[in-house]
Amino acid sequence: MEKHSSEITRRRLMKAAGALAGVAAIGGWSPAEAQAGGRVVLGTWGGDYSKLLSKNIDTPLMVPKKYEVVHDIGGDPERRAKMRAEARLPRGTSDVQGLSAAQMYEMNEAGLCLPIDYAKIPNAQYLLPQMRYPYGLGHIYSGKVILYNPKLITTPPTSFADALDSRHGNKLGIIDIQYQFTMMAAALASGGSMTNYEPGKERLMACRKAGARILPTNEAMAQALQNEEVGICIMWKARAVQWQKAGAKVETVAPKEGIPLYISGFVIPKNAPNKDGAHVWLNEMLQPSAQEAFAEDMGYNGSITNAKIPAETEKRIGFNADERKRLIDLDYGYLAKNDAALKEWWDKTFKG
Amino acid sequence: MVAVAARPVRTGAPGWTAAATVAPASIVVTIGIVLPIVILFRYSLNQYTPAKMMVDAFTIENYAKFLTDPFYLAVLFRTIRVAALCTAICLVLAFPMAYCLARTRSRFKNLLLMAVILPLFVGNAVRAAGWMVLFGNRGFVNSILMGLGITREPLQIMYTEFAVVVGVIAVNLPFVVLTLQAVLEGIDRAIEEAALGLGAGPWRTFRHVILPLAMPGVIAGTILSFILAMNAYATPVLLGGPTFQMMGPTVYNQFAGLSNWPFGAAMAFVLMTATLLLTVASNWLAQGRYRRPMARPIKLKFE
Repeated sequence: MEKHSSEITRRRLMKAAGALAGVAAIGGWSPAEAQAGGRVVLGTWGGDYSKLLSKNIDTPLMVPKKYEVVHDIGGDPERRAKMRAEARLPRGTSDVQGLSAAQMYEMNEAGLCLPIDYAKIPNAQYLLPQMRYPYGLGHIYSGKVILYNPKLITTPPTSFADALDSRHGNKLGIIDIQYQFTMMAAALASGGSMTNYEPGKERLMACRKAGARILPTNEAMAQALQNEEVGICIMWKARAVQWQKAGAKVETVAPKEGIPLYISGFVIPKNAPNKDGAHVWLNEMLQPSAQEAFAEDMGYNGSITNAKIPAETEKRIGFNADERKRLIDLDYGYLAKNDAALKEWWDKTFKG
Repeated sequence: MVAVAARPVRTGAPGWTAAATVAPASIVVTIGIVLPIVILFRYSLNQYTPAKMMVDAFTIENYAKFLTDPFYLAVLFRTIRVAALCTAICLVLAFPMAYCLARTRSRFKNLLLMAVILPLFVGNAVRAAGWMVLFGNRGFVNSILMGLGITREPLQIMYTEFAVVVGVIAVNLPFVVLTLQAVLEGIDRAIEEAALGLGAGPWRTFRHVILPLAMPGVIAGTILSFILAMNAYATPVLLGGPTFQMMGPTVYNQFAGLSNWPFGAAMAFVLMTATLLLTVASNWLAQGRYRRPMARPIKLKFE
């Protein structure tokens, strides 16, 4: 029988050190890394995006600066709800939150974002002006384009009006979570504008009556394109590039009505526990090496001017001079004010 | 042989012992359930504005909006219909299975019970993912149907009520089987044998003897299945898709998608109240139905 005593022997000390090393190896934590700059909690989507943030920013750029970066993974609705729920607390639980430009605007309007101190972000001197907000920074962008399978859609579309047309019947696919951009594209195709989505509703209802498929997520759409259940849809060009790489036989067309911009970026919650660390992370996010790696790995365009993107990648993911002229930014004020009403129409009338 | 020494019975302060026993669970229930429900109810009386999201108020407008909007009422009635249908099918499927489990003398009885419990080891979302593989347009079912030449085009099974009903039944069935089996185990086999011996056929024995005696299990299984189906979330989202809307996902969408917490909270309370009322009503009806014949005096004739 083993004797129990509280003496600290050499053997016990060795065992404890071994156990600590084991825990450190499993958890990816090491006392050596502990944290001159502290911990930065990053709210982000999961999957590839989170992995690439770790691979391209956290590990190569933040760890050498003695920061520990922890990802709080979740969909943006949940993370926005969390920001709201934590608003009254003196200390929140996250330091940086990844959101779309429209969501960043909405969160700032709700009074939840810390004004960005650009003096602490030297790399922001190369930030594209469209992606420099008083309350956040753009990280990557893409544009809404048309995807079609030439085998199923024999006449190549040139516009949103061609794509969102009832003649496609059940070969037209619509992504449920993309309701804002779908209504926007339908509006642009029907004489509406970025501040008036109303004219597009009739077009969408006609497509729905003709049998357009409503798919829940981007991933479901990728599968439907791959299976050739869907022949035409609208989506970010970056996603189209990923799906083409995965084997989907789709072509992309930049719509002639304009290419609505999708910008993804980051804000700092007002009650972030580590505001300095958050600014450091945002600065590292704008490092050319990080942005170049993101363009290559994920197919999104970076938000800085000093990144050296290979010509082949640029051609694949970017927009030519003519297309760049047609890139149009969203009216975030209109969206923030009308989002609830748009979603209600989408759920009750369009899907109902 | 183990000798067991008699211990003196403790007599002091039984009230304190009872309080100490009940306190941990009561604290957990209060903090984990009652408190959030109270907060949620308060939120449901607030107002929603797109800019500020939630403004402190004391209004019933969120409840009025739900109860006067045909869309939300349709979602509620659809949820009740699906829950009732799934519960009825679960009872029909579970009763024979539970009866066999209760009456079997096989040495594999424990294995059979484990087979019923086994699906509970897998989460709802994972099970729904399995159904997605089966029901997809290029899934197992459609591949078989098209391979055998029964259909030319794939059948649309995913994102339909059928898919949701199948998915919910698969989730609820083990709960109903286990509830019924526990009650059926307690029914003395001699009572069935007596009924059969007195000339009642199997159907009459089931209807007049087994079913009334198994009623506590039927009621418990009904309540359990109905509550689970009314509040189902993962199955309607994954198998019902964007167009088949039920209450659970719609409540979540108000909170997370639209940030309309006051209306989401009101919807949650409507769902909770509807579930409670329907459960109590079904319980009352079932108990009433089977109490009467049991309580009726039997006239015996001696010649």
